[in-house]
Amino acid sequence: MNSKEVAELIKAHISDVKIVNDRCLFATSDREKFKDLLRTLRAAGITHISTITGLDLGDAVDVIYHFDCRPTMLNLKIQLPKDGLKVPTITDVFPGAILYERDLMEMLGVKVEGHPDPRRLFLPDDWPEGVYPLRKEFKEAPK
Amino acid sequence: MTFILPIGPQHPALKEPEFFKFEVKGEEIVDVDIRLGYAHRGIEEALSRRNYKHNIYLAERICGICNIVHSTTYCQTVEQLAGVEPPERAKYIRAIIMEFERIHSHLLWLGVAGHQIGFNTLFMLAMRDREHVMDLRELISGGRVHSATNTIGGVRRDVRARHLLTILRGLNKLEKYAKYYVNLWRSDRTISARCKNVGVLCKEDAIKFCAVGPVARASGIKIDVRKDSPYGAYGALSFDVITEQEGDVWAKGMVRLREILESIKIARQALKELPNGTLRIPVDLKIPPNETVGRTEAPRGELIYYIRSNGTDTPERVRVRTPTYGNFASMKSMFVGGTVSEIPIVMWSIDPCFGCNDRVALVDSRTGKTQHLTWEEIKRRHP
Repeated sequence: MNSKEVAELIKAHISDVKIVNDRCLFATSDREKFKDLLRTLRAAGITHISTITGLDLGDAVDVIYHFDCRPTMLNLKIQLPKDGLKVPTITDVFPGAILYERDLMEMLGVKVEGHPDPRRLFLPDDWPEGVYPLRKEFKEAPK
Repeated sequence: MTFILPIGPQHPALKEPEFFKFEVKGEEIVDVDIRLGYAHRGIEEALSRRNYKHNIYLAERICGICNIVHSTTYCQTVEQLAGVEPPERAKYIRAIIMEFERIHSHLLWLGVAGHQIGFNTLFMLAMRDREHVMDLRELISGGRVHSATNTIGGVRRDVRARHLLTILRGLNKLEKYAKYYVNLWRSDRTISARCKNVGVLCKEDAIKFCAVGPVARASGIKIDVRKDSPYGAYGALSFDVITEQEGDVWAKGMVRLREILESIKIARQALKELPNGTLRIPVDLKIPPNETVGRTEAPRGELIYYIRSNGTDTPERVRVRTPTYGNFASMKSMFVGGTVSEIPIVMWSIDPCFGCNDRVALVDSRTGKTQHLTWEEIKRRHP
């Protein structure tokens, strides 16, 4: 699928789309519509999630899901306010996202609801609770 | 009754630290849990604190073995972000060096795989032959491993006409050796006995857990970013995507060895068709707010960079997904049902590349329970 076909496929579930080129597009959705969007993708034969990016904007967090639609890269963005950092898990539709969601939880403090294994992935066991290294307010301890 | 077998962070198989907890029933593995992060250096955060130029050097140091593919992906993504196109000659030189990197990475894999199955002669041979490709890299870039060839907007080093003959001769030698290894991998009884039907990843699981690179291709999935979404010079270069159907360690090895031959083919074609022209163009590194994703096929699979710019000379956020990270989710399927003696070679079959921390796992021999201790606790308990 090229970018236009992907945009056409998901247009019912997105609020904004930006086609970068033939093989790359960014789309914005929200928490409510996005599970249906995932099922639409899955039904169209898309099985590969490349990764999940989390990005602190200050008052909100952008969560970007990168799907490989062979050859198009669909970058699906969901913006979460800082007082409601919750997304449903996508591992029921895309099981390959399991580690990326753990990464998102520990690095940015986004709660992934329904995750089958919500332990830490990279951070050590003695890392303090509630400290998220990729947040803007994070300051490392002086040496 | 099952027992917990902790392996790592110091390994029989790996030269890098990672912790694996195997649950075994006699000799059979029934479950596995992986702890990552022993080499987590916070590079993503560090990338967003340095300017675009400094980040070339940092991206290159994410991984020693695949440094060129990291810096190429980083530079390509920044070029996309800034809306510039590097000169054709630079694209070809990048492709040549990236293919040399694939050859040396796969030969290193072969050597260590030989060592894992107790075939140390193969290790010696593979390391000997790998020197040829290291020499070629040194010839072009001046560095055997870190070549520092890339920059934003092109490359810093040229393939000189007077070196062409030496490079082509080197490729001829490598082709001869690679053919020998393909033949050996197919016919040797030791290799077959230790690698066939071991650590099988079936096609369904490979798709389900989003495996990438040679691991996916060995399970019959035809994915290769170079073909699916050509970047740089790859759209003009002809090569085949190598797949095998079995999904076992043998197939993963076979895919890599046959890929060496394809890489030689690509390098030869790129050298022959190397366009004339400048090596690099200037790029204004105050990049207006924008975001983009760049991906390439590293020796171990799909490598992704997501970069967001904010109008300054420093990126807002850089996200890096390395191929080994992409392959971890499918590791469980490879181990479960196998035996303890298979652990080193199966672990090595995904060609893992980690980067260290300070904890140990203790297993209580009576209850079988595992405990993680911090360095502080160990010091307290065993002063």
